[in-house]
Amino acid sequence: MLKITLLTSAVLLLSSCTSSVEELYQKVSPRSALITEEENAAVNQESIIAVDSSSFQSQEFKGSHTRTAAQNSAARMIVAQLKNSGTKFVLNFSYDGSEIDEAATQEVIKHANFMRDNPTLDLRLEGHADERGTREYNLALGENRALAVKEILGLYDLSSRVKVVSFGEENPVVQLHDESAWQQNRRVEFIYQ
Amino acid sequence: MIRFIVAFLTFYSATAFAILEVTILKKAENAFPIVISPFLVKGDAKQGELIANIMRDNFNRSGEFSASSADYIITSQVDFDKWQAKKAEAIVIGKLEQVSKKIFNVEIELLDVYSRKTLYAKKFAVHNSGIRRITHYLSDQIYFALLGEKGSFDTRLAYVTVANKGQGKREYRLEISDSDAQNPQTILRAASPILSPAWSPDQNKIAYVSFKNGQSEVFIQYPFVRRKTQKLPYFDGIASAPAWHPNGESIVLTLSKDGNKDIYSYHLKDEKLTRLTSDVSIDTEASYSADGERIAFTSNRSGQVQVYIKHLKTGKINRATFAGSYNAKAVFSPDGKSLALVHRVDKDYRIALLDIATKDLMVMTQNKLDESPFFSPNGSMIIFATNKDDSGVLSVVSILGQETFELVSKAGEVREPNWSHYSK
Repeated sequence: MLKITLLTSAVLLLSSCTSSVEELYQKVSPRSALITEEENAAVNQESIIAVDSSSFQSQEFKGSHTRTAAQNSAARMIVAQLKNSGTKFVLNFSYDGSEIDEAATQEVIKHANFMRDNPTLDLRLEGHADERGTREYNLALGENRALAVKEILGLYDLSSRVKVVSFGEENPVVQLHDESAWQQNRRVEFIYQ
Repeated sequence: MIRFIVAFLTFYSATAFAILEVTILKKAENAFPIVISPFLVKGDAKQGELIANIMRDNFNRSGEFSASSADYIITSQVDFDKWQAKKAEAIVIGKLEQVSKKIFNVEIELLDVYSRKTLYAKKFAVHNSGIRRITHYLSDQIYFALLGEKGSFDTRLAYVTVANKGQGKREYRLEISDSDAQNPQTILRAASPILSPAWSPDQNKIAYVSFKNGQSEVFIQYPFVRRKTQKLPYFDGIASAPAWHPNGESIVLTLSKDGNKDIYSYHLKDEKLTRLTSDVSIDTEASYSADGERIAFTSNRSGQVQVYIKHLKTGKINRATFAGSYNAKAVFSPDGKSLALVHRVDKDYRIALLDIATKDLMVMTQNKLDESPFFSPNGSMIIFATNKDDSGVLSVVSILGQETFELVSKAGEVREPNWSHYSK
């Protein structure tokens, strides 16, 4: 089933960055007043993943949502902060699955709150699949995974700020051919921009 | 004819590209023994050697023949008794006469060793740039004279190569080549993935999926003429899995513009989009039958990934695959009677051949990660992508289940094969 795990990586050790939504708040112009008790309690939970930040690419947002120049520069600063801190948020999925279970839903809701607290930010959800099965089917599967996350964010009226793309099996994080690699490659990446 | 060949070949630039290495895996046990004699040459001897070599390689790659040379030039005075004793069944003899710097007269004859009759003979003039093409054409004629079926030699391949460029960067190339992997030409180079190349029925265009704009979109490129690459209209979401209608006028593709991945047909001239499936599940990987009356596609509407066939006249959709929990990416055989597809066996993904009428499914390979099957234009072979020694290679299996040959790139992975129709 769907599982969210904390991964370690070279980047993690070097820059001691763990990426949780809570930490997002610290990295991005702290708004401690806005963090709820519930969110504070979640700090110690094993939560979202930090993986190799070298593949973190800031991409220009091409969605329908438009920002003012001031909002743009604010968003750019936050995105740069996130990038420099090596944060990357990933949700993993089961084989051929795009369902989001209760625990993962709670994590997505934290992102929803974060987005509401940072109205200048947009989110790009990148859906991915493991290498098994056909490429085109996996492209569709990756999109379903990202859309499942977007659906939850949509309950918080955030749809216009969320852009979904799928890369199918084309961009694996681990280029090996075993269950552990596949598990890590079945994912949705949260990329704030 | 000569003029046409010259005009055609000038589009191949002089740039050299890494040629895929061709390895012949196995011939059928009862492979047809054919002797292709060295040619009798007046003039440039190398050209004569080239023709005979290309021809032998063609027949050996087909898996149905065992082609060999003779240790001397066989001329019209054939010692049939001797070749019968050597168990040869057919002999090809040829003459090449250089009439000017670049023009050659080619003459070939195919002889049946037992009846001692001429089965095929042809003579014509050829420009030296057209020698490969002519040799493939002649190979097709000989194949037909012996088996009564078309060969697949005078055709082309399209495929994608992937090379690691360090620092997590990759270079993707969309390449085309002759059916023997010679004459490779890179028609697109990109830092982002390229998927699903598909030759148009007239062989002048290639449709494919590119991520160059950050999402999957379908493009049509013209490899032989200076004409701008065309992007199919983009809708929000996925645009992918293009396949040509046999009349070349429209393309089926997968769009997720409503969040729902469904199959549409897009008419290129009328710019009209027609929805062919509407189901909340994933519908993708559509391909047409040769008569254009049916499409096969992949869907998880049953809760499992399976192949379905839609009859376009009646609109009726039938499930085609029942064996196993995963069947996908089906393509019709040229005669429309079977489908080649990716079939899951335990944890492995293999190429299988499905008889549509009887529902019999025959697993053709023993690999772990096969994908992207596609028929040779005569239907005698299936080319597909697989993993070997941790790298992507192309492999070809005959429809009788015999592995025939393999295409490997030294520079990296090869994937997403597509085999063209016959040349015009």
